[in-house]
Amino acid sequence: MSVAVAHGGGIADHIHPEPQSFVRKYIFSTDHKVIAVQYFVTALIFMVLGGSFAELMRIQLFNAQGHFVDNNTYNTLYSMHGSLMVWMVTIPLVTGFFGNYVMPLQIGARDVAFPWLNMISYWLFPVAGLMMLSSLLMGAPTAGWTEYPPISLDPTQVGVSMWAASVFLIGVSSTMTALNFTVTIVKMRAPGMTFTRMPLFVWAQLATNMIMLIATTALGVAVAALFLERQFGVSFFDPAKGGSPVLYQHMFWFYSHPAVYIIILPAFGIISEILPTFARKPIFGYRMIAFSSMAIALAGFMVWAHHLFTSGLAPYLQLPFMIITYIISVPTGVKIFSWLATLWGGKIRYTCSMMWAMSFLVLFTIGGITGMFLAAVPLDLHLHGSYFVVAHFHFVVGGGMILAAFAGFYYWWPKITGRLLNETLGKVGFWCFMIGILGTFVPMHWLGIEGMPRWVANYDPQFEMWNRVETVSSFFMVASVLLFVVNAVTSLYAGKKSGPNPWGARTLEWQIPSPPHYYNFKHIPTVYGLPYDFGQPLPYKGLEEELTDSPAPVPAGAH
Amino acid sequence: MTAATLTHEEHADGHGEVDQLYAETRDMRLLGFLSFIATDMVLFSSFIFAYLYLRNTAQPWPPVGVHRLDVSFAALNSVVLFGSGATMHYALENWKHGKFHRYALFMLATIVLGAGFLAGQAYEYTHLIFDEKVTWAGSGIFGASFFTLTGMHGIHVSIGVIYLFVLFLQSVHGVYTKDKYFGLTAGTLYWHFVDVIWVLLFTIFYLI
Repeated sequence: MSVAVAHGGGIADHIHPEPQSFVRKYIFSTDHKVIAVQYFVTALIFMVLGGSFAELMRIQLFNAQGHFVDNNTYNTLYSMHGSLMVWMVTIPLVTGFFGNYVMPLQIGARDVAFPWLNMISYWLFPVAGLMMLSSLLMGAPTAGWTEYPPISLDPTQVGVSMWAASVFLIGVSSTMTALNFTVTIVKMRAPGMTFTRMPLFVWAQLATNMIMLIATTALGVAVAALFLERQFGVSFFDPAKGGSPVLYQHMFWFYSHPAVYIIILPAFGIISEILPTFARKPIFGYRMIAFSSMAIALAGFMVWAHHLFTSGLAPYLQLPFMIITYIISVPTGVKIFSWLATLWGGKIRYTCSMMWAMSFLVLFTIGGITGMFLAAVPLDLHLHGSYFVVAHFHFVVGGGMILAAFAGFYYWWPKITGRLLNETLGKVGFWCFMIGILGTFVPMHWLGIEGMPRWVANYDPQFEMWNRVETVSSFFMVASVLLFVVNAVTSLYAGKKSGPNPWGARTLEWQIPSPPHYYNFKHIPTVYGLPYDFGQPLPYKGLEEELTDSPAPVPAGAH
Repeated sequence: MTAATLTHEEHADGHGEVDQLYAETRDMRLLGFLSFIATDMVLFSSFIFAYLYLRNTAQPWPPVGVHRLDVSFAALNSVVLFGSGATMHYALENWKHGKFHRYALFMLATIVLGAGFLAGQAYEYTHLIFDEKVTWAGSGIFGASFFTLTGMHGIHVSIGVIYLFVLFLQSVHGVYTKDKYFGLTAGTLYWHFVDVIWVLLFTIFYLI
């Protein structure tokens, strides 16, 4: 038995032997890299399912008075589309996949703080996903992804109880991930990596996980109360028994507004890594980008009631919530301008990853600006029930998080698999997605302003032309996702070998082999500076042996 | 988590540098445990928010057919719980100073007082349900809030009593030493947390 002590910072170091059995290595693994890939595959499957529900809706909306699905099925489709995409796709992707894979490597750690907890977090996720799908079979939920009472209290919709249990479970999973990652970032950084030397992706993960740690329990309480009311008749939300439906909205949005920052902050982190790497320039305003993430995290807790402007929120509360919502655009704007300044005068390489990242800047900014429209109480009263909201949300999540996620896939894929994705196929996929997302969601802005209501299966024939444009465009996004899957699968055996650092990036994960060893680093490195000073020597010591054939570190218990 | 920390403690025998390693893992576990308590705090806060929100919209309060709760009995029961917080504090202090017998005495006192609080709560529930006919699902928002919140707190106390008993058995069997007693620290933090929640619940249900 031995405990290896890394040279350099003198941090006590501890290596566990690599598990040998198939089950412990690939199924019930505690290795953050394997768990990340598990999250990735599972989330992608749910993404295909959630996307199919969206396409079924788009087919129904092709005709103004279409009969592809009946009205109730249509309600179920958008409920499940939203629920799956928010809880089973976006949040697991940004934290479970990107956070799990990249964050421990970027801080120079061998794993997360509590690897077993990490494994349990993952395994709750497919279980919760299957429970959510099973709600389709038992009186499916129809009240949207928010499941507002009193519709969600309808006793015939038995699936709502299953839906609530599923959301509760994925909430437990998120909370455990958040606890794990917060402790990892605060306590397990390599020697010398002070907070202001952390890569910006790690800053984004810290902010996201702190939000997730606090906010997710509030969601758990909201759906637990809904469950109790449905199953045991305990009255919280039913006005007939003295409850208040608006209370549910408060509790739900106290989580779900921060949840959009849970989704978008890691996307900001991904963009902050990719832009300097492909512009070959130090990131502009490192501290401002880092601190603005924390500012967004903090302010994100104080704006939830802007979702309730049309729900009878007291007028004296409307103004403060409107103003704080406006204030959030300030740290977000700080980021956008810092990224633009990073690109300014850079020697930009237009790789697939960079193209996704740059399109993020445009589309996310549009989504942010429409958010300011909706934050204004008088405009929101007009726009709240309309397609303008759908357009806004899909620009910030689709045009924000999904674009950043694809940028991240292309960026970190060589690190994960050791092989490059095909750039040509990737660019075709990129332009397909651009046509798709713009064609689908841009017309929704004016359709919404003209008064086309969301949540309905049939609509006024005057909007038919643009809806047909949207439906056709949406299939370009399907094509793009399929192209990505083809690209990913073929690259696994036919992709060009990438080597350890195909992009010339400077963060720690690129200084070790691709894919990394089980133990990540042969010796825990010591950090002397920021990872963004292109043209300077790397600010790390202790990495000399990483790319050599020197023996692996001795695991504890091996001799 | 468990496997890693156990291995660390196994390794602790005969390795000089391990004290530092232990300090780091204990630090991680402390932050992790505090984070857990923070999420638990949000659990109670959300339900407290719900109760205050509903109470604020409801007229009249208390609802027709519900008497005001019996403050004097609950106050007595609270004293039992707060007393157990004090004995828990002294148990940990005595452990830190190596006074095992006094530690054991205070620890057992904590467990007994915690169980006493639960007995008091059971008596109060029985009285409410059978004499006053106030129930969880049958008394509107009052029954819903009162039984959900105090019930959740009661479950927390029950888990705490079992947890403290396990910790006590562990300490008897020499799992912890004078310098390495993270489990006892965690148990103390949890127990104080349960106390603090009761301060809030007592205030919102019995006093205002």
